[in-house]
Amino acid sequence: MLLRLDQIARGSLEPVSLSLAAGETVKVIAESRDMADELIGIISGQFLPTAGRLELFGEDAASLSEAARLGLHTRIGFVPENGGLISNLKAWENLILPATFHLDATTDELEGKVSALARRLGIPADALAAMLGKLPDRLTMAERRQVALMRAALMKPSLFIYDFLHTGLDRAAGEAMLKAAAEASETAQGTVYLCPDDAVSARITADRTVRLGAEGS
Amino acid sequence: MIAERIGRVVLDALRDSVGFFALLRQAAGRLAALAHWPVRQVFYKQIYFTGIEALGAVSIIAILAGIAITTQIVSLAGADKTLVSRIMLWTIVRELGPLLAAIVVIARSSSATASELAGMSIRGELDSLRRLGIAPLDYLVVPRVAGITVAIMAVTIYFQFIAVVSGFAFTSLVYQSPFLTPLADVVSILSLHEVSISLLKGLVFGLVISGISCLFGIRVPRSITAVPRAATSAVMRNLIAIFFLDGLISYVAFF
Repeated sequence: MLLRLDQIARGSLEPVSLSLAAGETVKVIAESRDMADELIGIISGQFLPTAGRLELFGEDAASLSEAARLGLHTRIGFVPENGGLISNLKAWENLILPATFHLDATTDELEGKVSALARRLGIPADALAAMLGKLPDRLTMAERRQVALMRAALMKPSLFIYDFLHTGLDRAAGEAMLKAAAEASETAQGTVYLCPDDAVSARITADRTVRLGAEGS
Repeated sequence: MIAERIGRVVLDALRDSVGFFALLRQAAGRLAALAHWPVRQVFYKQIYFTGIEALGAVSIIAILAGIAITTQIVSLAGADKTLVSRIMLWTIVRELGPLLAAIVVIARSSSATASELAGMSIRGELDSLRRLGIAPLDYLVVPRVAGITVAIMAVTIYFQFIAVVSGFAFTSLVYQSPFLTPLADVVSILSLHEVSISLLKGLVFGLVISGISCLFGIRVPRSITAVPRAATSAVMRNLIAIFFLDGLISYVAFF
């Protein structure tokens, strides 16, 4: 089991259960941003749940050391709503940060991989070149999420977790973002889409849908 | 009322001290993080910012300090070249060199480091690093502690050299006295003990300034108004700490 939440609760997040096995895609509909923040915070280890149990790749998260927990995070491709970029690094430096840190990859190796990845995800070469030299506060929201997506995909994670991927974008940009995410997730064992309750989210294909704020299952 | 305020100050100081030593101990245990290229990049950038970029300001202050100190010493000690050289040594190499170099670094790097880390903490970037499987201690604290410490040691030596040379250059111009002779006296008087203590002060000041700046930066509460408070708190704590440690080291080393 890649991810298991057993009656997890905290703050505005009512008890919710969710499991994700290899080969599955789960859509989690959040009634509010607060609930989504609580869930993402618990999964990413930012804080502990007040109730319930979280398992990551079969391990009880509460019993993991900081180092072990961080080690498991290298197998998860988080793509946060705001991109989650480091503000004093340019987009290129943000993109290659985990790969150069964990995999000792060189920039020469990564240049080719990033270009190929961008083509695969439908990001035009000129758009890519224009964004990579900028600091995060100079990027659009869509560009920040694209950088976050490529940063995650470079690590070839077992699990992708997308957080409100299409929100705040125009329709075309939102659809392009979801298409890129689906393409990136082809190589992963499992995918979680954390979404608002809207028409675009309804069109995301998933094996199961879980609703936060109602009886989760 | 006064007792309460004093008590609060003492408790805050104790809490800060515990946090500071804990952070330094953790950073010392994670020096292996420098093996990662992104961490080394931060380390090199920190040396550049704290050391290389500070050289202009350090040079100006060192020249002016050297002139002022040497002028006073020569006016007091007169023609006694040995006494002039010794007092020059005591004031610049033992005391003012490490202190003024540390003050320049505090003014430039302490507030910048504390406010940068505070801003990152408030924007959730420490959590972003954890989501990437990167410990904030490894990527943010270790290279800054190592970089600032190395830079301060180098800046201290540079400051002392410029101050001594400029001081004697000035007095040789004004008093039409030899330039190389008193300079040579300083070099012959300078012992390994003095050099070691000077380097030790640089090392200790570096660890303290970097540790305090990082501590106040990363433990800031999630409020934008906390950023300037973190910066000013770091600067004030650093100033108090280095003057205290300077006195302590000098007392132990030279008495």
